[in-house]
Amino acid sequence: MPRFLAFIILALVSGFGALRADDAAPDSGRALLVAAVLAPAKDQPAAVRALVGVEDSAITPVLNAWRAGELYLVVLADGTRVPATLATAATHVPSAAPDQLVALSVATGSPIMDPASSATPAAPLFFAPKQLKPIDTTAPLRRAMRDVLEVAGVADPDPKIRRESIERLGQSRKLEHLPLLKARLNVEKVSVVRTALAESIAFIQLADAEESTRLAAIASLGDAHSLAAAARFKEALAATPAPSAAEAEAMRGALRQIEGHWQVVNFFGNLFRGLSAGSVLLLIALGLAITFGLMGVINMAHGELMVVGAYATFVTQNIFVSFFGAGSTAFHFYFIAALPVAFISAALVGLVIERGIIQFLYKRPLESLLATWGVSLALQQTFRLIFGPANVQINAPSWLQGGATVFDVAFAYNRLFVIGFAILVVLGVWLVLNRTPLGLLVRAVMQNRQMASCIGVRTTRVNMMTFAFGSGLAGLAGACLSQLGNVGPSMGQLHIIDAFMVVVSGGVGNVLGTVIAALGIGTVDQILQPVLGAVMGKILVLFAIILFLQWRPGGLFPTRSRSLD
Amino acid sequence: MAHPILQAEEVTKTYDGFRAINKLNFYLFPGELRTVIGPNGAGKSTFFDLLTGRAKPDVGTIKYATSDAAPSLDLTALNEYEIQRLGIGRKFQTPSVFAEHTVFTNLVLSLKGPRGVFSSLFHRLDSEQRDRIDALLKLVRLDGKRASKAGLLSHGEKQWLEIAMLLASEPRVLLVDEPAAGMTDEETHRTGELLLSLRGKHSIVVVEHDMTFVKQISEGGQVTVLHQGSVLCEGKFDEVQSDPQVRAVYLGRGKH
Amino acid sequence: MSAPEKLSDVEPRFFSRAQWIAFLVPTLVLALLLPLLNAFLPAEHFLRPSDFTLNLYGKYATYAVLALGVDLLWGYLGILSLGQALFFALGGYAFGMHLLLMIGKDGQYKSDLPDYMVFLGYKELPAHWAPFHSFPFAAFAALWVPALLAFVFGWLAFRSRVKGVYLSILTQALTYAAALLFFRNDFGFGGNNGFTDFKRVLGAELSSPDTRRWLYFASIVLLALVFLLYRWLTRAKFGHLMQAIRDGENRVLFSGYATARYKLFVFVLVAAVTGIAGALYVPQVGIINPSEMTPEKSIEAVVWVAVGGRGTLIGPILGALFVNALKSWATRAAPELWLYILGGLFVGVVLLLPGGLVSIPGKIKALVARLRRPPASPASPEPAA
Repeated sequence: MPRFLAFIILALVSGFGALRADDAAPDSGRALLVAAVLAPAKDQPAAVRALVGVEDSAITPVLNAWRAGELYLVVLADGTRVPATLATAATHVPSAAPDQLVALSVATGSPIMDPASSATPAAPLFFAPKQLKPIDTTAPLRRAMRDVLEVAGVADPDPKIRRESIERLGQSRKLEHLPLLKARLNVEKVSVVRTALAESIAFIQLADAEESTRLAAIASLGDAHSLAAAARFKEALAATPAPSAAEAEAMRGALRQIEGHWQVVNFFGNLFRGLSAGSVLLLIALGLAITFGLMGVINMAHGELMVVGAYATFVTQNIFVSFFGAGSTAFHFYFIAALPVAFISAALVGLVIERGIIQFLYKRPLESLLATWGVSLALQQTFRLIFGPANVQINAPSWLQGGATVFDVAFAYNRLFVIGFAILVVLGVWLVLNRTPLGLLVRAVMQNRQMASCIGVRTTRVNMMTFAFGSGLAGLAGACLSQLGNVGPSMGQLHIIDAFMVVVSGGVGNVLGTVIAALGIGTVDQILQPVLGAVMGKILVLFAIILFLQWRPGGLFPTRSRSLD
Repeated sequence: MAHPILQAEEVTKTYDGFRAINKLNFYLFPGELRTVIGPNGAGKSTFFDLLTGRAKPDVGTIKYATSDAAPSLDLTALNEYEIQRLGIGRKFQTPSVFAEHTVFTNLVLSLKGPRGVFSSLFHRLDSEQRDRIDALLKLVRLDGKRASKAGLLSHGEKQWLEIAMLLASEPRVLLVDEPAAGMTDEETHRTGELLLSLRGKHSIVVVEHDMTFVKQISEGGQVTVLHQGSVLCEGKFDEVQSDPQVRAVYLGRGKH
Repeated sequence: MSAPEKLSDVEPRFFSRAQWIAFLVPTLVLALLLPLLNAFLPAEHFLRPSDFTLNLYGKYATYAVLALGVDLLWGYLGILSLGQALFFALGGYAFGMHLLLMIGKDGQYKSDLPDYMVFLGYKELPAHWAPFHSFPFAAFAALWVPALLAFVFGWLAFRSRVKGVYLSILTQALTYAAALLFFRNDFGFGGNNGFTDFKRVLGAELSSPDTRRWLYFASIVLLALVFLLYRWLTRAKFGHLMQAIRDGENRVLFSGYATARYKLFVFVLVAAVTGIAGALYVPQVGIINPSEMTPEKSIEAVVWVAVGGRGTLIGPILGALFVNALKSWATRAAPELWLYILGGLFVGVVLLLPGGLVSIPGKIKALVARLRRPPASPASPEPAA
């Protein structure tokens, strides 16, 4: 109903109000189209122009077809003339021959049925392209169609298309579009489209004859922080003849306003991207901080444990596809199920590594480094043999696609999710370490293995559990990364060195240090990247960390010991 | 009165909010043998760490006299090896020797002499140094084990070896942390004799728990009692022993 | 009960007579006999080492020098550097620059400029390339460029007393960063593809068997000299100090030694020597690219040492030979298994044979001795001590 009201008001205001009350059906656009096609040739341009401002997504395709000579008049057995476009039969009746085409009625948008057919559902009528004659067009008619098409998007039911075509009209800077845009502004409800409308109106008014109108437009564009306007102002200020002094002054003021605004927006955008990159690092480094920091074990296979998590996500996705279908609602929740799967599978692999190798190497950290490197090679090869050397396809669930824009800063949902998830994981780790019996045992064993075993702590079990826990965290990180980047056999190698740097600069065995270091490195990296490029930024961060360790060799929060070595 | 050789004034060192050393004032005079006692956690080892450059004080000064003049060299600005080269040697609480090397090599590496990279590359033992090592090995009764791996020695033997290493570097000041731990009574007594014989030539600070041993080595010398990072009292062994404060915090806890 | 004093422990002689023989015989055979046999025996003679074999051994010899450096740092000084391949590759790049310039106009584009520069649209040779026309300059650069980088990095790292696994991770990060840099085209060293298609060195055609024999000979001589140099370093006081730093650096510090300077000295020296080995490697394999300086390469060199036996000087040579021979066999016979084999070597040697290949004779000897000695009592063959 609001759509209908809007339509009426628009029709009245815009002065194209030659509408018939009996056509006020939801698909009145289609009705108007039919009327235009059937109208006498001399009335056709006016009838087409009546479509301006009508909200119907059918208008654009039908007019386009008409212009291209692909709109036909089908005369039915009872003499009724039905305007129609052709669809290939194959899309409707798979078995039909290639020259059997189905006609889609402009009035309804559905196939014209064979009245003689007794089948249920009724079979459509088939046509060969030669059977039908395209409806002719004249030059004035084509002009009318072009004009309608140019502004048709302004009234499209889809706000996104509306916004885009409104922006396009603004860019065209044609004063003739002003009435239409102003009329639309009166009925538009969606706020982003309203913003676009206001901006476009102001943009067009920059060419207004009245200086006061131009000045007002400049001011309002400045207020709207329009980037397009900023480019236009720069152009105008550099152009000859120069704009009037008052205008130039206003433009400079608006430019300052706009650029200042976008600097702030970019800053927050970078900050947000940095936070999310830092959160990814944090997720990877947390598991490492536990196995490396608390246990003193250098697990070079940590990256591969992460890949285990990523592939676990991939497998979960495939299971959901085969059980629920790729497009189903249930599919979009595969990622929720994948998280525990990733955690458990990585933890199990970690458990095997700990039992098989690391348990013998607790006093030989350098050698645990070598042995786990060997494990990582073997794991990489295993991934290659199972999943192939190429990256696998992981589709983000719908709720992780897209993003929200707040005050012009874009927040992608997957990045938001990573930040939120990292917060949850940090909280979880902190709770496990500080509020559970396991955490107490872990800390006891980490501080003094021998003493702990003397007072009856089963250190073997605690080691196993801790290592599996750290590995599971790597799996979670892998699941998260699968939503942000490619998943392939050597994905682990890309992140492991960064993660080690985080742990080293955060101060070994310190969760808080890891958090700060990860977020810091992620943000600095993100801020440097646009300036220096991805590789140079990374190199600079690496050197910054080496220099940082000059200043604080033990990292942010060093652990102290009183023994000599 | 002579100038002190080592002087620490108003020194404070905090670890994570815990004041290990608290406004400590300490003066060591040339040739003196000073015994430092104090309950566990009194800051004895931290004090040695501060003197040898292993830790830096938060506030306060630690000065060292390289000549007979008043102490002027700021030790807090120097690191471990610089301090060692100035003639301040340390024996650690847990015996700390080069475990993978022979007893003999341990002493070769500890001998007084140039410490630079190139001097080590082209180093040759002369007969004088060889004799010196032999003498030291006899002194600590390890000449029979000169070719044994130091790591295989008993705890007491390691203590002796470390004392020999300390002497081999011919320091002006010896900081000796619990030398008698792990020794038999007889060995302890002999250690005491050794330390007493070094008096005069060297200035010595000994940290010790064993009261019999403290009594032995503090004959005529001063005893400093550390408590909660500062000096509780200083004096002859008997004075300290009868001091009610000291009895309360340390001796009174059942040891005597 | 005291063990008799061993002279070697007090002031070890450089080599005993037997050791001299054990050193000289294989060196002479490898350095002189094999190239002579290759040059003068008829092609089909069964005693004649093929050109391919000689080339392969020459490559292994440069690898062995790399491995010796890893071992000097890890086995003797306790520094597990995961970035030694970087120094190797830097030496290779420095000398590769010279080789590339020596192609002259014989490249694909018939230009004075190296092919990749033409391809990337360079108009003239960058100024820092000009001195590399000179052979002595390039050869010397292969030494000082790695040494300089090692000095800067080592000075920073050792000064702040970064050690153990932290140092390992930093060296890994260093070589990772360098590889990223060299992979970039705009860094100016040929990007991904690096340098290749070399034609001649010192005026001699690289493809001629004669040149290849000389390169092989130089590699063996380099290996022998490096062996002697490292042998000299690891003995007497300096060697004892290295091992003391490895076992307990703080104790050495409190004995008055500036351990950071010792570590820096060895680190820089090894980098320079490794750089020279890299310079000899490049003309023999005909290519140098950034994949030679990835962390993987460095860690592979570490496994050569681990497999051969660290803390000995013969171990790394054996290990480099053994693992690389295994690699060239496996990558042909079962390429998909190679990573499993390599991974298995890492795990196996660490868990089962920490002393490496060189420890096997000793183990066998101990086993034989135990079998020969009659058990003390039939009930308990190993009496409690």
